[in-house]
Amino acid sequence: MRAPLSANLGENESLLRDVYADCADVVFRRFATGDGTNALVLYVDGLTNIEELDRCVLAPLMLQTADLPARPSSGQPEGPPAPQAAQPSAQPPGQPAQSQGQPRAAEPPAQPSGPQPTAPPPGQSPAQPEQSPGPPPTRQPTTQQPPAQQPSVQPPDSPDRLANLRIPVSGAKPVADIADAVREISTGGAVLLIDGRPGGVAFGLSKWEKRSPDEPKAEPVIRGSREGFTETLADNTAQLRRKIRSPRLKMRELEIGRLSRTRVIVAYIEGLADAALIEDVTARLGRIDIDGILESGYIEELIEDNPWSPFPQVLSTERPDAAAAGLLEGRVALLVDGTPFALVVPASLASLVQSAEDYYQRFWISTAIRWLRYLFFLLSLLLPSVYVAVLTYHQEMLPTTLLLSVARSREEVPFPALIEALLMEITFEALREAGVRLPKQVGTAVSIVGVLVIGEAAVSSGLVSAPMVMVVSLTGIASFTIPRYSAGFAFRMLRFPIILLAGTLGLLGIMLGILAIIVHMCRLRSFGVPYLTPLSPANGSAMRDVFIRAPWWMLDRRPLPGEPINPRRQSGGQRPGPEPGGARG
Amino acid sequence: MTRMPDNGKITPVQMMFLLHPTIVSTAVLLVPAMTERHAGRDMWLSPVWAMLSGFAVVLTAWALHRRFPDDTLIECAGRVLGRFAGKIIGAVYTLFFWHTSGMLVREYGEFVSGVFLMETPTPVIMGGMLVVAAYAVRGGLEVIARCAQIIIPFVAVLFLALVLLQTREFDADRLLPMFEYGILPSLKGSIVPQSWYTEFIAVSFFYPALTDRSKGLRWAAVTVLLVAVFLSLTNLAALLMFGELAGRLVYPVMSAARYIEIADFLEHLEAIVMAIWVFGTFIKICVFYHLLVQCAARTAGLSDWRPVVHPLGLLILVSGIWSASNLQELIRALGSSVVFELLFVQLGLPVLLLLAALVRGKKGSAAEAQ
Repeated sequence: MRAPLSANLGENESLLRDVYADCADVVFRRFATGDGTNALVLYVDGLTNIEELDRCVLAPLMLQTADLPARPSSGQPEGPPAPQAAQPSAQPPGQPAQSQGQPRAAEPPAQPSGPQPTAPPPGQSPAQPEQSPGPPPTRQPTTQQPPAQQPSVQPPDSPDRLANLRIPVSGAKPVADIADAVREISTGGAVLLIDGRPGGVAFGLSKWEKRSPDEPKAEPVIRGSREGFTETLADNTAQLRRKIRSPRLKMRELEIGRLSRTRVIVAYIEGLADAALIEDVTARLGRIDIDGILESGYIEELIEDNPWSPFPQVLSTERPDAAAAGLLEGRVALLVDGTPFALVVPASLASLVQSAEDYYQRFWISTAIRWLRYLFFLLSLLLPSVYVAVLTYHQEMLPTTLLLSVARSREEVPFPALIEALLMEITFEALREAGVRLPKQVGTAVSIVGVLVIGEAAVSSGLVSAPMVMVVSLTGIASFTIPRYSAGFAFRMLRFPIILLAGTLGLLGIMLGILAIIVHMCRLRSFGVPYLTPLSPANGSAMRDVFIRAPWWMLDRRPLPGEPINPRRQSGGQRPGPEPGGARG
Repeated sequence: MTRMPDNGKITPVQMMFLLHPTIVSTAVLLVPAMTERHAGRDMWLSPVWAMLSGFAVVLTAWALHRRFPDDTLIECAGRVLGRFAGKIIGAVYTLFFWHTSGMLVREYGEFVSGVFLMETPTPVIMGGMLVVAAYAVRGGLEVIARCAQIIIPFVAVLFLALVLLQTREFDADRLLPMFEYGILPSLKGSIVPQSWYTEFIAVSFFYPALTDRSKGLRWAAVTVLLVAVFLSLTNLAALLMFGELAGRLVYPVMSAARYIEIADFLEHLEAIVMAIWVFGTFIKICVFYHLLVQCAARTAGLSDWRPVVHPLGLLILVSGIWSASNLQELIRALGSSVVFELLFVQLGLPVLLLLAALVRGKKGSAAEAQ
């Protein structure tokens, strides 16, 4: 597929038509430039901005006749086509395309200073025919050696030079071979090939229907940015760039997926992210060999440390501010084309139970809410199993009155507590899943049926006891307090084995379950970083962002373990107050 | 010597969290009653005397570590006494840790089945614990250390809360008369705790894995002190609560927890005792299991210890079932013959090894740091 684009337009066209055989959405537009040279534009219908293409590429080229008199007047009767046509014939067609493509790539930024005088006119293409006879002769004597006056010696006009000279499109780059051309076309570029010139030019005129950024549905906040990532990679990188404007924010681009050729951006901040981490991430991404990446979830599963773990080892977020916060902590963000979910690595348990809003509200509130969250987080994991264990094995732990009332309500229930709990939990999960999948209008119906009909009827008919309904509902609410859906999922799932353990070994079973989870988390690493990171191995200053949410003027240190390259994120002693610089202790 | 696969690195603080439950978790349950039988009302002092054994073990292990910085006790023996004798010492330690971890698992099983799950067969209780422990042990020392760092602070807080909640029932008169028969009874009473303190020999396996070796001795010594504080506090609490009756109870701490009652709602906090016990014992079982695996693999000269983790776990279960026919027999053994076994293997042998190293002038190859 690395066949170079030759100087022969017919050859190129037949090659590309072979590649795009049976692709009804690829448009081949043949036309003749003003000077009569054959040219070809091809693009994917619907991915390319056709109006812009017509106005900025086709129109100037077709009206290029006006240019012709300019060249002959400088002494060459044959005009521009001659040097250009002569050049490829002098050298083998394959060679020059490669050798020119590379150095030229660096040229565009430098060139505009020269061609600028001529660049603006094509902007108003109707005006060009009248104006252009003037400028080219005036320019040539000034910028180039006037005495030589021999265009055959000056570097041959290459496609990208042409683009820079006469086509007012900023996103233009040379394409040297078929593979380049195909890549550009597939991302919505239009590729221009001109007879007699090796290689072609791609114009980044992509435009397709896309969603405008709206509020992140899965991570809403009360205070904080309402902007979420979208499905368009360029918009997402722009959102990150708007948050972190320093050029130290680097974005490496990779292409993953044999068929989908999904663009993946590895974003990090130079000097904050560990070079070894970046290498590790890039290497793991490089190992992926799959036909298609349709969502960042594919990548997540293919780069994890422990693929069998129920816990997410990668933080996925829809929020540009959360991704930017990760970058500022020295983490690496992965943006995947086609999904609004960015991945941030390495992740730790602490980072998965934090919400972006924790950092926007006052720290007292955030701290209190964090503790509430931790409490409910434990409840979501343990409440039903503790209920089962206490009712089955440890009745003496309940105060007598409570025990009596529970016993009374369970009098008619035909099932043991274990079965009752499993039944209700599974029903609840089913209701929740149905609520997520169904259209919104039906969703309310499901909740009415689920809550009123099933819940009420089950209790009043004595199939389920009222305390169990309370326990299950509370567990459900508790599982909604976990801000990250993926982390909440792990705990929702682990609830079931623990209920079974509670039903067989009582509190001991629950403890064994907790121990197994702790051991598993202690074994788990995310890109080399221990999962329980600020807790174990302990890191005192990072714990200030786990047990409490310390105010910003105290969060001087970046939380990643080990020796961060740049451990301090702000200057210390910024405690605010009437005296400047927190002078008062 | 084949290089063992990396066990990971632990920090000195993590070493403390590993060692502390290794002594305390089982000592708080059985030892108060055993101490009382010898020391009577002075039982609170016995752990403080016994602490000296702890220091002796820690210092011996440190001296050996200074001579052989990268070696555990098993390799030290090989270097000092030669290959053959070293293997014998290794075999002794392997069998010893097999026996002690079996007893340990049995103590755990007896406690849980005796107090909480009376109808569940003990092997099931022991097996469940060993399965989880095997999972941790397979992760290496670093994983056990991280678990300890998560679990032990929580356990320590629960323990202190438990003692605090009992204060309402305390009666200071039960301490009097102090030293009625001199200090001899408290010294006698310290023999059983001493055998527990000698379990500090585990540091010999931890020193080489430390990230900051220079702080190893300091933190080990701090741990010995902390252990003394905890054990003394336990005995004191049992004494203040029950007086000399403590000696007749199997698990005084457990019985004391039954007295707790707050606001007519928090009562019967045995569950907390069980949490302390199960979590603390879990770390202890992991540590002993780890020592057994390391000793067995190093003595046998295996290139990797991971494959032997699960088979040895099964053997621990078997040894737990064999170690005694019932709880009374187990307690009797722990108070008599096992004391000498523990003292000899965990204190005597290392001291002899150190003396031999001194006499023969052996030093480790990597002893460039003095």
